[in-house]
Amino acid sequence: MNRKPHMGDKRITRRTMTAGLGASVVAGIAPMNIVRAQDATLKVGVLLPRSGAQAGIGQDCQRGVDITPGLLKDLGMPPLQIMNGDTETSVEVARSRAEKMISDGAQVLVGAFDSGQSTAIAQVAEQKGIPYVINIAAAPQITEQGYKFVFRNFPTAGMILADAFANQKELFEATGAAPKTVVFMHVNDTFGTAMKGGIGAVMPKFDMPYKIVDTIAYDPTARDLSVEVAKAKATGADALLMVSRLNDAILITRELVKQRWSPMAILSMGPGWYEDQYLKTLGKIADGPLSFVPWYDPNKPMSKKLDEALAKAHPGVNLNTNHVYTFEALLVAADAFKRARSTDPKALADAIRQTNITDNVSPGPGIQFNEKGQNDKLKDSAIQNRAGKLVTVAPKVAANAKVEWPLQPYDRRG
Amino acid sequence: MIGRLVADVPRRAALALSVFFLVLLVVPWFANDYLLTVLILIFYFAYTGQAWNIMMGFVGQLSLGHAIYIGLGGYTAAVLFSYFGISPWLGSFAAMLLAVLCGAIIGFLAFRFRVAGVYFAILTIAFAEFARIGFDHFTYVGGSAGFFLPVSNYSQSDLWTLRGKPIMFYYLSLGMTVAAVILCHLMIGSRIGYFWQAIREDEEAARAVGIDTFRYKLLAVVISAAMTSLAGVFFAFYYNNLFPEEVFSINRSIELILAPIFGGLGTLFGPILGAFLLTGLAETLTAAWAALGVDVPGAKQVFYGICLLLVITVLPDGVWPWLYRRLGLAGRPE
Repeated sequence: MNRKPHMGDKRITRRTMTAGLGASVVAGIAPMNIVRAQDATLKVGVLLPRSGAQAGIGQDCQRGVDITPGLLKDLGMPPLQIMNGDTETSVEVARSRAEKMISDGAQVLVGAFDSGQSTAIAQVAEQKGIPYVINIAAAPQITEQGYKFVFRNFPTAGMILADAFANQKELFEATGAAPKTVVFMHVNDTFGTAMKGGIGAVMPKFDMPYKIVDTIAYDPTARDLSVEVAKAKATGADALLMVSRLNDAILITRELVKQRWSPMAILSMGPGWYEDQYLKTLGKIADGPLSFVPWYDPNKPMSKKLDEALAKAHPGVNLNTNHVYTFEALLVAADAFKRARSTDPKALADAIRQTNITDNVSPGPGIQFNEKGQNDKLKDSAIQNRAGKLVTVAPKVAANAKVEWPLQPYDRRG
Repeated sequence: MIGRLVADVPRRAALALSVFFLVLLVVPWFANDYLLTVLILIFYFAYTGQAWNIMMGFVGQLSLGHAIYIGLGGYTAAVLFSYFGISPWLGSFAAMLLAVLCGAIIGFLAFRFRVAGVYFAILTIAFAEFARIGFDHFTYVGGSAGFFLPVSNYSQSDLWTLRGKPIMFYYLSLGMTVAAVILCHLMIGSRIGYFWQAIREDEEAARAVGIDTFRYKLLAVVISAAMTSLAGVFFAFYYNNLFPEEVFSINRSIELILAPIFGGLGTLFGPILGAFLLTGLAETLTAAWAALGVDVPGAKQVFYGICLLLVITVLPDGVWPWLYRRLGLAGRPE
């Protein structure tokens, strides 16, 4: 930064101009205009944040993409020609990649995990009349825009929170015990603060049996949460209500052990507590927390097939939200292609609108879209960590285990 | 003004400029929407690079928090449009006013108390971070959950409300870039421009010869802030969503300064060439990776980083000054 730029002479000469313009045109335009011809198969452009800040999640979603072709074949679905694209966790790149995929012949788009990136892609899809099936993105506004070509098989933020409280009440009724007080700890980042606001708005509608006695926010990059946990313990709350990420979930669990505090329950409304890394890092002390998340119905036959396919392709990886909803987005595309018998985008969009897939993975009656393109019948689940695995304990219709309640004290785990 | 603009431009250079401008004008007739999207991105970076270049390239004040003006501009115009139905053209004035105020506060604090160099850069980062955290908790504009502008499937473009197809945004971004180049050309050749360059070269000496350095540095900051806020308005209405984490982040500030640094600091063509080269390089790598069947996430970014490193190492003045010398052109690079 300490070099001295030259601006002394301000004359623009012919050669200056020609060289500058020529270099600009050659550098910028020449390599971009690559357009490939369409063929008869359904080309699906999958856009995921496989690098950048969301790389881990994007790559996890990609696992769902990778195992899909074999499953579709078993289901008798037509094969898809999948075109993978990396949004680089950027709204700008997401938009330009969507344009590129469409110019390369994509007839359906799928993705993109993040609400901002999905919004950018949705506009391109809508303007081009190309069906776009969102795998994961919770911002309600995306399906409130009157789009005709945008479909979402994932719960909105409001649905997620409402189901979380409904599932908690179901568990409290099933166990006959409920915390009277909770202390709410949340990570102080975008997601954490959004969830805090959402909880404040939704919780009063559910007449929950507990009160939030204190709210403790902490920095997402904190390397020591001993003070925060001590403060939470000092409230004397029966249970811990959490909105966290992975690293802080691990830190807090270790502090709970160190400070000899075993609350009645750990109720997590976000990621962290059920992730593979959490389970592997903490071993026995990972058992017990309850997470309220968009999940899968382990009782559905398709879930078992998906679980087997994932275990075969990626041993040691637990089936999770990222795989499930990415697979289902591709399933929607394949199913529409099968029924429409056409790669015409409008015919495909009409077919997607008529979707009625009951042999699916996510909880609820199946995949259908309302007039806004939203699957509003989706249900979320309550899952619990058990010996390095995850079991579903609510809602009852999508459960494969009974909840272990209360949390087994950390000092009695051997 | 036009006379002053073209007074020292040779006839053939003016002709070449006209031809290039005409080519850009007719590009939408031949290009697909993907190419248009990439060109929009190029112009966006060329424009913001030009705005940032006023501070760093002309006056030597390193700002690493220019994202604050993008965010303020975007949010101001978006809120005025979404909540009050005010056209983004009118909202732009409010956006610029807010950015100017913010820039004036930052500039006043820094220059009044002689905060310079890396400390000035840290101050700009701090303000951008304040804004990010503030907007994260500003529920009126959606807080961390983001602010979404209403959109729908537009069969026609409405220039007044900036609702429409990529072609409209293409011409808008082209117009903004051309306007920025003209403005910078006029400014750098004016009395103010010479004062700026004097401050950049040796602030003490500039002060010694009677230049009010405080005033002229502040002027550079507010002009740069106002211009950058317009890019924020463009961003908001083109992408139709704003997240504090996205628009105010240090990543965005860094992204804005790459084109002028890569192309050539303090030059008029540098930011433009830099924007073409960097965006072109990114898209070429994506296309090349796809053609080679390489599907390794992050590989492109690593290679992109290596290319940047090589160019910055070999050509510390940027690509345009080097190209200028290689072509044996007379004088100093524009």
